[in-house]
Amino acid sequence: MTKIKLSLLLFSVMSLAIFVACSSETETSNKDMAEGNSTLKTVQDRGTLKCGVNDNLTGFGVLTSGGTFEGFDIDYCKAVAAAILGDASKVEYVPLTASARFEALSSGEIDMLVRNTTWTASRDRDLANDFTATTFYDGQGMMVYADSGYKTIEDMDGATVCVLQGTTTELNLDDRFTSVGLNYTPLTFETNDPLQAAFEEKRCDGWTTDKSGLASKRAEFPASAGGPESLVVLAETLSKEPLGPLTRDNDSNFYDVVQWVVFGLIQAEESGITSANVAAMAASPADPGMARLLGVAFGDGKVADFNFGVDPTFIQHAIAAVGNYGEIYERHLTPLGLTRSGSLNALWTNGGLVYAPPFR
Amino acid sequence: MNLFVNKLYIWSRSQKNRNLFIQFIFIIFVSFFIYYLISKALLLDMTLSHFDSRAGFGISHTFVIDYTSNDSRWVSYFTGVINTIRVCIVAIFFATLLGTIMGVARLSKNILFSTISYLYVEILRNTPLLIQIIFWQIIFLKLPRISEALTFGNTVVISNRGILLPSASPSDNGNIWITIIIITVILSLIVSYIINKKEDLEGKSIKLFNFKFNGNLLSILLFLTITITTYFILQKPFNLDLPSLYQNNKGTFLQSGGFEFTPEFGAILFALVMYTGTFITEIVRGSIQSLSKGQTEAAQALGLSDYQTMTLIVLPQALRSIIPPLTNQYLNLTKNSSLSVVIAYPELFMISRTIMNNAGRALPVFFLILITYLLLSLVISIFMNVINRRVTRIGT
Repeated sequence: MTKIKLSLLLFSVMSLAIFVACSSETETSNKDMAEGNSTLKTVQDRGTLKCGVNDNLTGFGVLTSGGTFEGFDIDYCKAVAAAILGDASKVEYVPLTASARFEALSSGEIDMLVRNTTWTASRDRDLANDFTATTFYDGQGMMVYADSGYKTIEDMDGATVCVLQGTTTELNLDDRFTSVGLNYTPLTFETNDPLQAAFEEKRCDGWTTDKSGLASKRAEFPASAGGPESLVVLAETLSKEPLGPLTRDNDSNFYDVVQWVVFGLIQAEESGITSANVAAMAASPADPGMARLLGVAFGDGKVADFNFGVDPTFIQHAIAAVGNYGEIYERHLTPLGLTRSGSLNALWTNGGLVYAPPFR
Repeated sequence: MNLFVNKLYIWSRSQKNRNLFIQFIFIIFVSFFIYYLISKALLLDMTLSHFDSRAGFGISHTFVIDYTSNDSRWVSYFTGVINTIRVCIVAIFFATLLGTIMGVARLSKNILFSTISYLYVEILRNTPLLIQIIFWQIIFLKLPRISEALTFGNTVVISNRGILLPSASPSDNGNIWITIIIITVILSLIVSYIINKKEDLEGKSIKLFNFKFNGNLLSILLFLTITITTYFILQKPFNLDLPSLYQNNKGTFLQSGGFEFTPEFGAILFALVMYTGTFITEIVRGSIQSLSKGQTEAAQALGLSDYQTMTLIVLPQALRSIIPPLTNQYLNLTKNSSLSVVIAYPELFMISRTIMNNAGRALPVFFLILITYLLLSLVISIFMNVINRRVTRIGT
């Protein structure tokens, strides 16, 4: 009898524990946000940033054989962690599939999502996300085997196309084919690995996703399946795909920090601040604008603090950790063959779209 | 005060009272937890109004419903439901067949048969289903590529895009003919029932040209005569749909037409059949072994062959203890079919996830998925219970 009693007691205590755990975990969910429980404070209290990322897209987010995460998107996680916590290594990476990413963000499992995610109206409103800024201007492309003879989408009547499930690419693909009245069979996979396996066996004629993703997959296409030369990415761009980090709706404190870290890194490139010279620049800023960006005093003046809820030097920390926008791009995307000059991702001063609002 | 403490002490001395108290506390915690969950859920939008919007995505496997991306999300959802039902029905049929054969083989005196059955059960029962599904998909993808596809005249095309078989699609008169078939089946069943009953009661049978007709034979003849004559009267109610392998103007091979058996459907079907088959094998084996050995011996003493002993004496009796655990396996199979989400077979769970990604509101969609699986399981349970009642009634 004592045993039963004890187990009952234990069970009650456990259910209480679950109850408490659940209530504390859901603190970060949307509804509590209005009560001032900002993700920013959660991150500061926790001491780590939970960042939802891709672990299987070379250049953007990939889990290396050494067990570390690397890539263009990963660097934004590091930059935000450096800005808020002063340490770029304090990031807890949560690898997510395309179809699980929004649930993870809305449930509070992660603080921010940087997983080559396209900014769209329905995701912004229907899925209750807030897109901070565009870090990469992408467009959907179609990759086919070079020997197939396909030159345009119009050639592909009756083709089978491999695509990731639950992506905007899946919807754009359908729009494109149905608008010209072509038949096609979409083969929708949840993750990239089985998709690539099917494509290598020529189960599908085409593989569609963002052009950056196709460049990445083409660059590492195994020689046993024909190597990169056996594939071509069609010239046509099916859609606009602005990619960038996103946070939950109604979470302005955190949203603003993430957004301005991105803008800060862009501004840093424009101002010529790099990870190499940021310390020197901070010691003696060239002009008041640079002093504001780096959160230091210009001459004998005061420090301009915009009340982000973090140290005013947060952008300085971010630059020191990952470098400016151009450095991040050079490090991860240039090796994939994604040329920056002349593309939409060039700085606005060079005719691109990469532009930061004034930091004042 | 002292009196109260004293009374409380006496009250707590009773084992029953203490148990009552602990249970009371426990119930309070549980109710709070449930209240908390419900109150959180009520804050969310629990309607499915977004299912009326245009779906906007394509589905690779459509069956019965002629789905296009212009249809609403409801239609896409039901396309997924039908894909689930389709794979479940076919898998249940073949798993039962395989399980019965293997279960009998397991007890065979032939060492080869019993060893094959033993290895089959031990290997496939003890590996995860998910891995088996992926394994079968890899196997199916190793079929010839479309540029090297095997063709047998204009009747069969085999490639890793799918195995195409000739099929028939109803023309204008096709639906009339299908209706006639259904009516004839019912009619034949009634005829055979009446004649067999009469035969049982009166001991007389219909004789024609010295040939004895029983009810079953007569009803089959009736069925064939009516359907074949109406087929010709209606002037080919079906169009033959032959598969074809062709090259487009760029020289790329494509295939179309006929009945399509895709690698994705094949992989999930094979995995479910092989995996569930192992459990059915064990159920059949156990049920046969639970029968008293005297049954077999008596049958053999009467001079029945091994086949007759099995089909006339053993299996009908074993069926009684097979049906209830078999129902469990059918339910497991249905629920396991949701694992096909990993191999691009668009069943209901995969389509629901796509909808969730496009329009959010995961919670109401999950409720819809749960209700759908619940309904599917209940239908199987009811169906199996009916069979169970029939089986247990015989011989009691």
